[in-house]
Amino acid sequence: MRDRLFLTLAFVVPSVLMLVFGYGIILDVEKLPFAVLDQDRSEMSRDYVHQFMASRYFDYQGSVQREDELSELLADSKIRLALIIPQKFQQRLSAGQPAPVQTLIDGTFPFRAQTAKGYAIAINASTNADLLARFIARTQGITLQRAAAMVSPVRLELRYLYNQELNSRWSVAAALIMFILMVSPPFLTALGVVREKENGSIYNIFTSTVSRGEFLIGKLIPYVGISVVNVFILWFIATVLFGAPFKGDPLFFALASVVYVICTTGIGLLVSLLVKTQVAAMIMTAIITVVPSVLYSGLLIPVSSLDAAARFEAHLFPAMYYTDITLGSFIKGTGLDVLWGNVVMLLIYAIVLWTLSLFLFRKRPKV
Amino acid sequence: MKGQQLAKIVLWLRRMRVLTAKELLQLSRDLALMFVIIYAFTLDIYIAGSGVSLQLNQAPIVVIDADHSLASRELVYRFRPPYFRLDGEVDDASSGLRLLDEGKVMALMDIPPNFQKHLLEGQPTGVQLQIDTSNAVLGTLAASYAGQIVGKYGFDAALETVGLTEASLDTLPRIEDRHRVWYNPNQNDAWFFAIAELMTVITVLSIVLPAAATVREKERGTIEQLSVSPLSPIQILLPKVLSMMLVILLGTAVSVFLILNLAFDVPLKGSLPLFFAVTLLYVFSTAGIGLVAATMSRNLAQVGMLTIMLLAPIILLSGVWTPPEAMPPGLRQAMYFSPLYYYIEMGYGILLKGVGLNILWDSLLGLTLLGSLIFAFGVWRFKRQFG
Repeated sequence: MRDRLFLTLAFVVPSVLMLVFGYGIILDVEKLPFAVLDQDRSEMSRDYVHQFMASRYFDYQGSVQREDELSELLADSKIRLALIIPQKFQQRLSAGQPAPVQTLIDGTFPFRAQTAKGYAIAINASTNADLLARFIARTQGITLQRAAAMVSPVRLELRYLYNQELNSRWSVAAALIMFILMVSPPFLTALGVVREKENGSIYNIFTSTVSRGEFLIGKLIPYVGISVVNVFILWFIATVLFGAPFKGDPLFFALASVVYVICTTGIGLLVSLLVKTQVAAMIMTAIITVVPSVLYSGLLIPVSSLDAAARFEAHLFPAMYYTDITLGSFIKGTGLDVLWGNVVMLLIYAIVLWTLSLFLFRKRPKV
Repeated sequence: MKGQQLAKIVLWLRRMRVLTAKELLQLSRDLALMFVIIYAFTLDIYIAGSGVSLQLNQAPIVVIDADHSLASRELVYRFRPPYFRLDGEVDDASSGLRLLDEGKVMALMDIPPNFQKHLLEGQPTGVQLQIDTSNAVLGTLAASYAGQIVGKYGFDAALETVGLTEASLDTLPRIEDRHRVWYNPNQNDAWFFAIAELMTVITVLSIVLPAAATVREKERGTIEQLSVSPLSPIQILLPKVLSMMLVILLGTAVSVFLILNLAFDVPLKGSLPLFFAVTLLYVFSTAGIGLVAATMSRNLAQVGMLTIMLLAPIILLSGVWTPPEAMPPGLRQAMYFSPLYYYIEMGYGILLKGVGLNILWDSLLGLTLLGSLIFAFGVWRFKRQFG
């Protein structure tokens, strides 16, 4: 622990990751840059385009004259959506005929494309309801108000539970705690132990009277300690800087976090016993922690939506159980009564990892 | 005079060749590291591509159907895969909310009694949908799709009451939505995530490998031997960078053909020589970052920590997670300092969009400038330390 850079990094890295990702990952799709090719140039087409301009989801970048200008803008990522209104738009609609409108969407980011498509469909649906209501009012001789009610008879009342403002930063902040505590403790542990292997100081341990168990525990207590301090730092950043609510029981969250941290340092320990060099330890830890904690933890996709194989893998890693705990404690306000199963799984995980390490760790490795 | 110079160049090149071979040999003896490199370029990218999906995929939903009519069943029936998956009915709100609390279901739909009656009489009626938005992105998507489903259902019901059928739609004034998604028509997440992961792997390895090769010499003290040998700092450095570049380029080729093209059917629309040239330039630039990290640390553990610190902003500001237009103003300009930003733009541009230099010249210029700056800085620091 004399290594000062190493020690500061042990505390600074998690906080930096939290700040950078918390501020930087913006998953709300807003202000999508778009351009328009209006071949009709009528009052109705302008009104239609105006609906896109007025929406906070789209950001108007200008009009073009030719279609190939649109494709060039899309190719250069200057716009993400292009709107083409063909000629006779007004004429057809006034005559009671359907009028086609084409939207071209940049599919490079599939999630954003999907969301953009949803917004465009919503705008079209409301325009259509409006057009139809006017049409029915005119042809059947009833008031516009009554026609409008007829056109959309079922109202959908949406209630957002837990995160009423759909603030993606809150979700990200809670999930990031899981992610960072999954990645940084194993890194520290694996590197710390392998370093002793590499520079040979581990032979002092081999020849000393310290038992295997004593060595492992003595080695790990500092890392678990560092990580527990980090839990508090991260919790502080999430609640104070990102304004995420903390609705659950602090004591439960603290205890569950300690169990989780013991699990993740255990992963680092296991890695350190399997590899010989620090580079290998680093990369191996990155691979076995980053991928599952991003993919199979519920960070981005709820586990219930994964396919069967991925769901199986998700249950093999501790990250999933802890994601439920962080989301539950921060956003949902659930506690031990709902989440006890997850804590038990983490405990089992920790015990298995540590027992395995104890078996793998030989004082005199075969040469 | 000329002969002397030629001999010098030959000697220089020979030294480079010998040292590069030495680095490659050293790498190939580290079996764990070799294994990790192979894994990173194949299985890791495959897992990222096949596992991640930011789409709403069979979100489980439960229903409280107080009406039990034809109309309510028809509505419930419309919540089906791919976006939703019906997980049965519950009797009351509290058991539904319990399922939401446990995270077993994502949404709870409440259909009031007399739903069908009101619908037939033309009275407005409502259904309530409670959505778990602890994951804001999926919550938003679920709300959007539910809105579309219920809207379409209402529209169909309205047409029926007015006495119109699907066939008479052609005689109604309405907008025919013809959207087309370019570059990735089926919005296949695998394409996006596999390419993103490949670029991340390239970034990580091109920082870590040269840095590790350099720091290892420091740790073992063999750097002293190198610095008393008749080699200039550049001659010590360049072989390290070159050998790692070779390895990374080989890995990239394997990954592009085997994983991207063969396993995921990524179209590879643009010019592949251009893609590899750009990759080479990118590896060179990021290797500079590795060199800086190597001069700042004494052992590999420090390199590892520094790499993570540097990697986080590089990836974040690259536009993979947040494209430039969604970035807040300050960060948007900061993106120009992330080499990955240019590489992402060019990588997706060449592989998916199939565009060439006529469109990508500005990114290439940016990467060249930034890359030479970083590399020069790395070399300068190295020279100062060991020159």
